[in-house]
Amino acid sequence: MTHFGAVVREERERLRRRDRRFSLRQVALRVGVEPAYLSKIERGRVPPPSEAVTRRLAQELGQNPDVLLALAGKVSGDLLAIIRARPRLFAELLRQLEEAPDHAVLRVVREVRDGEW
Amino acid sequence: MITLDDDRLTFRFPDVHAKAVLTIELQRTLRIPDHDEGLYGLPPGLGRFPLRHLDDYAGRIPAAQLRRGGVITPMYQAEALWIAFESSADYPFAVKVAAGKVCAISGGGWMGHLNTDPQDYLAAPDQPWLDGFCVEEGVVRQFVAMPLGQGYTAEEQLTGEAQHGGLQLMVFPMKADRYEDQYEEHERGMVMSAPPPPAADMGLAPGGRMRQQIYADDYGLDAWDQRRSSRCFVTIANSRQWLSITGERPPTEPPSARAYTEAGLPWFDYYAGDAAALAGADKLHGLASVAQTAAAAGDAPPPDNQPLAAPRVVTLRRSDTAQVREPSGWDTY
Repeated sequence: MTHFGAVVREERERLRRRDRRFSLRQVALRVGVEPAYLSKIERGRVPPPSEAVTRRLAQELGQNPDVLLALAGKVSGDLLAIIRARPRLFAELLRQLEEAPDHAVLRVVREVRDGEW
Repeated sequence: MITLDDDRLTFRFPDVHAKAVLTIELQRTLRIPDHDEGLYGLPPGLGRFPLRHLDDYAGRIPAAQLRRGGVITPMYQAEALWIAFESSADYPFAVKVAAGKVCAISGGGWMGHLNTDPQDYLAAPDQPWLDGFCVEEGVVRQFVAMPLGQGYTAEEQLTGEAQHGGLQLMVFPMKADRYEDQYEEHERGMVMSAPPPPAADMGLAPGGRMRQQIYADDYGLDAWDQRRSSRCFVTIANSRQWLSITGERPPTEPPSARAYTEAGLPWFDYYAGDAAALAGADKLHGLASVAQTAAAAGDAPPPDNQPLAAPRVVTLRRSDTAQVREPSGWDTY
């Protein structure tokens, strides 16, 4: 679980080198946690934070929230809701796609249809 | 291929290059005052406009509009927008942007390919934003939503017809070998019978003047892979039509430019070094703005249109990815 904290710290420090608004203290304030808690998260002394805090961290650091949640060992609540709504269909779909290459997975996403204009 | 996620359009060209991914979003913003001597900075982004698949509302949208495909978004009358382009790998794209099928860069009619004389596309994400019609070198007239059929939109002024409305986007990726050469080495529905559905019939009209350079294409026409492209029609519904089509409430109206400025919040400028800017299109330069059209017709000008004293302007630079064109993050520093 230290991996999550290390990624957050590395990304925050990278941003801080160019902009001091990315100090531990200021990021913690914007994300809505105590600086001491964020410090513990970054050092892997506590488990990764809640989904809501992880999402705010992702937004603050310009990271993809799903990727950061995965690093935290979590799955986004909206994804869980999608699976729970049609569990058989989506469980089957995900198992089918487990080994598929990225381009094959992209083929099953919904595209914006282009028409006549 | 284009996908829609979280109110963003993602254009992917996996068969050209794995990194050929461009995201386009429509940002809500203030309408800047529209008067002849005014020249304003770039207004802030106030969040993304909602975007939905048009196909999800088949039966609630006239068949002629449904045929266009694409997405639908809500705008209040006289509300403004700007367009943001982002590529996380900095993969270059040529992007055509049209309003009512009138090119916002050249003023020409719609063509499904790229032209350089005059240039009728922009190179994104070097060009990170487009706020309006390119009327002079370094000056655009803001994109402002107005109902079709009243003579305000660029389309009606240039073609005499109110046929298309909306916003049209077409994206061409850079050729993969050019990208590799230039970059890799440098870097690392449902159907119901119901009363006739409301037509979503808003178009974009030229509003107030602001400082924004549209950069000349430095890569050259040969850089773009014109065999591959994706395009999308963005239908614009007014807020009432949006509610009846989607059942969703549109976002609240943005604050007035005056209220925003008086709150001490920043406007923006963009610095891109010595990149050359396009001269602006004569056809677009000659368009009447919303305020001018209203005055000529004896209609009331758009609300909150008084000139503003010099607002606080924050200059953003390409190199600084931590800076954002939003009101938050600036007020406390």
